Amino acid sequence: MAAAGWPVCAQSLKGVILDMCGVLYDSGDGDGVAIPGSIEAVQRLKRSDLQLRFCTNETQASRDRFVAKLQRLGFDISVKEVFSPAPAAVSVLKERGLRPHLLVYDGLLPEFEGLDQKNPNCVVIGDAAEKFSYENLNDAFRVLIGLDKPLLFSLGQGRYYKETDGLKLDVGVYMKALEYACDVKAQVIGKPSPTFFQSVLNDMGIQPHEALMIGDDLVNDVGGAQSCGMMGVQVRTGKYRASDERHSSVRADGTEDNLSRAVDLLLHHRGQ
Amino acid sequence: MAGRRALKAVLIDLSGTLHIEDTAVPGAQEALSRLRKASVAIKFVTNTTKESKRNLLERLQRLNFDVQEKEIFTSLTAARSLLEQRQHRPLLLVEDSALEDFTGIDTSDPNAVVIGLAPDHFNYQTMNKAFRMILDGAPLIAIHKARYYKRKDGLALGPGPFVTGLEYATDCKATVVGKPEKTFFTQALSDLGCSACEAVMIGDDARDDVGGAQNAGMFGILVKTGKYREGDEHKISPPPHLTCDSFPDAVEHILKNLL
Repeated sequence: MAAAGWPVCAQSLKGVILDMCGVLYDSGDGDGVAIPGSIEAVQRLKRSDLQLRFCTNETQASRDRFVAKLQRLGFDISVKEVFSPAPAAVSVLKERGLRPHLLVYDGLLPEFEGLDQKNPNCVVIGDAAEKFSYENLNDAFRVLIGLDKPLLFSLGQGRYYKETDGLKLDVGVYMKALEYACDVKAQVIGKPSPTFFQSVLNDMGIQPHEALMIGDDLVNDVGGAQSCGMMGVQVRTGKYRASDERHSSVRADGTEDNLSRAVDLLLHHRGQ
Repeated sequence: MAGRRALKAVLIDLSGTLHIEDTAVPGAQEALSRLRKASVAIKFVTNTTKESKRNLLERLQRLNFDVQEKEIFTSLTAARSLLEQRQHRPLLLVEDSALEDFTGIDTSDPNAVVIGLAPDHFNYQTMNKAFRMILDGAPLIAIHKARYYKRKDGLALGPGPFVTGLEYATDCKATVVGKPEKTFFTQALSDLGCSACEAVMIGDDARDDVGGAQNAGMFGILVKTGKYREGDEHKISPPPHLTCDSFPDAVEHILKNLL
């Protein structure tokens, strides 16, 4: 029943934005593994008349290294097609002349090189994984509580993601922890922030209603895209859970088994 | 009019009410002895996530308070009785010093998560483990949800932020067992054979002690010792039944007006 609906509206589309982790590949030891059919699905999209961009809240590696990993997995993808939170955060910090205390994964640190980090006046938190120790969180907490007006930036607000050995807590959980501890509201950079989605649309030069977002995260990918006026389709890979289809506030325009299936339907309805 | 109800039980907070760190509040021991001569049951109630009953008892006895272990009811006791009641096998994220209050509880193949203040356990791996259990349906039980506390080298995160993070991750609400939860107060009274309207709570925390107790249907008396700050009595509605200088004044009021 779900299949009939969304691809019909897809005829007027001009661009597609793909989430990466959980849609293209599952992360895990080493490079992780490509999700079956996704490599070909990306190729087919690239051969179509649709524009294609990739949008990730990945913050464990710099964009260059992250894209290199995807290329090793077999994906036809380049750095300029990929939008991730860290470069967006760096521009905000520079614009506002802020000195960050960073609680991020070591692999992300190169993105912040060149920024003054002495005597910090804000905290930037990313998916720090094993670095989310009590002491590291406490250090971030003390910086925040010591500021007249605590300023917290969070690179995404995801709840969890899937690695090959199971579900892992994402940055949003620790963002909420610091918000609660300091009674502040974090500024989210990355999905589902409308500014972030808009920067991708601007790059393609299209309007929201001409774009489709495909992701495995119902709230941040699908809901975030929908609240910008885009269509949002969820795939049943990655962090997808059956309960997503009964979510109280977010309803995907379509739910498909995987990216390959979604691209099949999309291109079929466009006669391609 | 409130004073006409026959009082059967008095709940007393520990830190900040009977003592401040290792010093007793002046006159508190004598006041407790006077209260014991009246026909009321007494319980000592406190929010702690790391001090076992035995630790608390030893400190009180060192300060010459006439207290027995079975009269102490803590947030750890509350967590334990909830676990027993629901026959949960907990993953216990509490400090080692608190573990003895859970002696005898089956923790094999856990199906519930209990969180206290446990810096040693708040690492990525253990948090992930707790998260996966909750996502699979294990209930999340919080000893309490304090934001932070003061330690010798400065402020440090309490259990609250970690509980809040897990709530967000799993889209569930933790069951909080400590003060100011209503169930904490009703459980503290449960073996005394009296109802909430026949009990009074004395404490230095307007919200957690007095507000919580009054919300459970008890009287609340706020003492101006410990963490009390000027104007705290106006922070709760309805206001405390009584606000007085310290524990001995509270006892005086009870003996004169509530019995």
